[in-house]
Amino acid sequence: MMPQEVSEIRMLIARHKRWDVVFGILGLVCLALGLMTFVTLFVDMLLDGYNRLTPEFFTSFPSRRSGQAGILSAWIGTTLVMLVTAVVAVPLGVAAGIYLEEYAPSNWVTHIIEINISNLAGVPSIVYGLLALGLFVYEFGLGQSIATAGLTLALLILPVVIVATREAIRAIPGAIREAAYALGATKWQVVQGHILPYSTGGILTGVIIGMARAIGETAPIITVGALTFIAFLPPSPVGSEFPFLSFEWLMSPFTVMPIQIFNWTSRPDPAFQANAAAAGFILVFMTLAMNGLAIWLRLRIRRNIKW
Amino acid sequence: MAEPKPALDTLPIKAAARRLNFYYGDFHALKTIDMPIHDKRVTALIGPSGCGKSTFLRCFNRMHDLYPGNRYEGEIRLLPDNVNLLDKGVDPIEVRMRLSMVFQKPNPFPKTIFENIAYGLRVRNVNKRAILEEKVEEALRGAALWNEVKDRLHEQAFNLSGGQQQRLCIARALATQPEILLFDEPTSALDPIATASIEELIAELKQKVTILIVTHNMQQAARVSDFTAYMYLGEMIEFGWTDDIFIKPTNPQTEAYITGRFG
Amino acid sequence: MPHSEHLSKQFDSDLEDIRSRVLQMGGLVESQIRSAIECLSSGDYDLMAQVTDGDRQVNSYEVEIDDACAHVIARRQPAASDLRLIMAVSKIVTDLERTGDEAEKIARMARQIYDRGRLQIPRSADVRHAGELAVAMLRRVLDAMARLDAQEAERIIAADATIDGEFRGIVRQLVTYMMEDPRTISTALDIVWVAKAIERIGDHIKNVAEQVIYIVHGTDVRHTTREIVPESDGGN
Repeated sequence: MMPQEVSEIRMLIARHKRWDVVFGILGLVCLALGLMTFVTLFVDMLLDGYNRLTPEFFTSFPSRRSGQAGILSAWIGTTLVMLVTAVVAVPLGVAAGIYLEEYAPSNWVTHIIEINISNLAGVPSIVYGLLALGLFVYEFGLGQSIATAGLTLALLILPVVIVATREAIRAIPGAIREAAYALGATKWQVVQGHILPYSTGGILTGVIIGMARAIGETAPIITVGALTFIAFLPPSPVGSEFPFLSFEWLMSPFTVMPIQIFNWTSRPDPAFQANAAAAGFILVFMTLAMNGLAIWLRLRIRRNIKW
Repeated sequence: MAEPKPALDTLPIKAAARRLNFYYGDFHALKTIDMPIHDKRVTALIGPSGCGKSTFLRCFNRMHDLYPGNRYEGEIRLLPDNVNLLDKGVDPIEVRMRLSMVFQKPNPFPKTIFENIAYGLRVRNVNKRAILEEKVEEALRGAALWNEVKDRLHEQAFNLSGGQQQRLCIARALATQPEILLFDEPTSALDPIATASIEELIAELKQKVTILIVTHNMQQAARVSDFTAYMYLGEMIEFGWTDDIFIKPTNPQTEAYITGRFG
Repeated sequence: MPHSEHLSKQFDSDLEDIRSRVLQMGGLVESQIRSAIECLSSGDYDLMAQVTDGDRQVNSYEVEIDDACAHVIARRQPAASDLRLIMAVSKIVTDLERTGDEAEKIARMARQIYDRGRLQIPRSADVRHAGELAVAMLRRVLDAMARLDAQEAERIIAADATIDGEFRGIVRQLVTYMMEDPRTISTALDIVWVAKAIERIGDHIKNVAEQVIYIVHGTDVRHTTREIVPESDGGN
């Protein structure tokens, strides 16, 4: 090639590469914009609520006096509600996902169900609140309890869990599935011995992301009637007498973190704003911790799976 | 090579396709195929892409049953009990328990080497440690892999090289003592050295088991097989001794494909 | 034999090259025999030298064509008709080379005879006739190879018997000749050698014809006594 042509090619490459630089910068700006907003909010909350982040804050009930108010009932309420949500949503969602991927015949009924699951994930959360109010609170008589809230949030994240399960199952190569079937395994043997173990990482990630969404939900919880001021704890699930386990807490009134925060921000006294900021910081921290857990679990479980 | 070849119809038969037709939905993929599979011999299926050779192979262990819209007509008789593998009354799982398959790409399970091979036995409710250990060793020896992995049976199978993974898959298929071993282009993802070791293994395995192999590599068919069938557009064009197919095929279409005059 | 071409044009041209070089070699051998016979009747020393030179050329053809066959085997892994062609060609060139050697031997005998100063050659017409028969057979077998004509090859195999007959006739007559006049013995013996060379040429040509049948039908008819070779089965 002549030197002339070589230099022409170099100029052409340089011209094309300019777009790499342009897009790189553009992307970085967008990323920074989103990230900076979040970091600013997070730091601002931390600064506002820093003084309130004491051990007592976690062990005190809400109070009329801002200095003595704490989030004990809120974080325990949140934890218990999440527990119910997970216990209900995970088996239901995973089973439904497995059914749709492995068992469901490929016909129009299945198709409609599949489309509607995706649609359900987009339904506003208040609608779930209204449904729960009618169904769980009045129809089933569960009242304004932890059980009701847990079930409501479980419904809310069910589509997310189902979709995550299906995606995780689809990520398993067909060749692995065929290998198992070719050895004479039945459907259930394949699901139990291969599909479930290999998709656990993906499913867990989906579940935790769903939970992280549920933990911040306020609207459906208010709709089903969570209290804003609770100065007692639900009955302990572990008793000292036989059978040592109690499920009374399920029917107990409760509050959760977002509601506690909402309650404090509506107070005129600026000291409560610091409480709200501190609680907000903890809530964000809980969410981040759950996402961190999801990443860690995925890495750990997928360590031996390479495809 | 030099010894005279016995007449085809005097050789013992392990299986036979009789007037086999296969449809993917409306697509007529296999057209009235009649073919014997000789006992303890290697039979190779060759032909251009899309000729139906893999489709034919996957009829033998009813893999098509895993997907909707597939339909068989005709028979594949498995001897000596003369059961029709394609019969609606025969459970595909029963068929797969009798015939094993090795796939195009090595597809070990993301489990340990030991568990990969033990899986087929566990499916058959063999769970006693001692028996499993014995069978796993036997299968690994059969697949010429034992010496390489005997000290790392509880390591992940994915840590093995591509060729070793494929031999692991062969061991997995052998562990359940299949009557026919089906190979679906088993070396297409391997380098020439790993390919040679698999071919060597196939030559050893035919002492014990009947082998049916699909390959897109004609030279491989020439190297490993006793019989070769040439397929084109879903039809069986010619079946015969591999020597005859590669030296003096009788059908001009086979001749054209074998000599690279295809197209 | 399929008429269509290989996907690889290079493969086609390699095979075509081999085929045409075999035919060229055959043509050269044919003219060698013709010249050698001519030497015998004319005593032309220049022509004798030419035949000796020509044989070197025949030898180098053999080496070249064998080499080209090895190349095709190594690079193309020929199968079916291609494989048979290559296998047969490498045997055919050996036979052609030996045919060339026999021609050279005839030329050498001619020189011996003329060096001895004998101008009268016994049975020269018969020898010339047998030689012409051999030349015609060689031409026919090359033709059969070019046209992949197995039936013609079979006829050539049968025709070899004629040359054998000619040879026996010449020997018989030379024996009586020698008995009549013992002074002619050395020349007569030389003529026997010439006739023997022609008879050998016939055998080589027969071998070539057998290879032509192998190319076409894939059946090995060497060392078989049966006259029947599979009917042409439309494999053209």
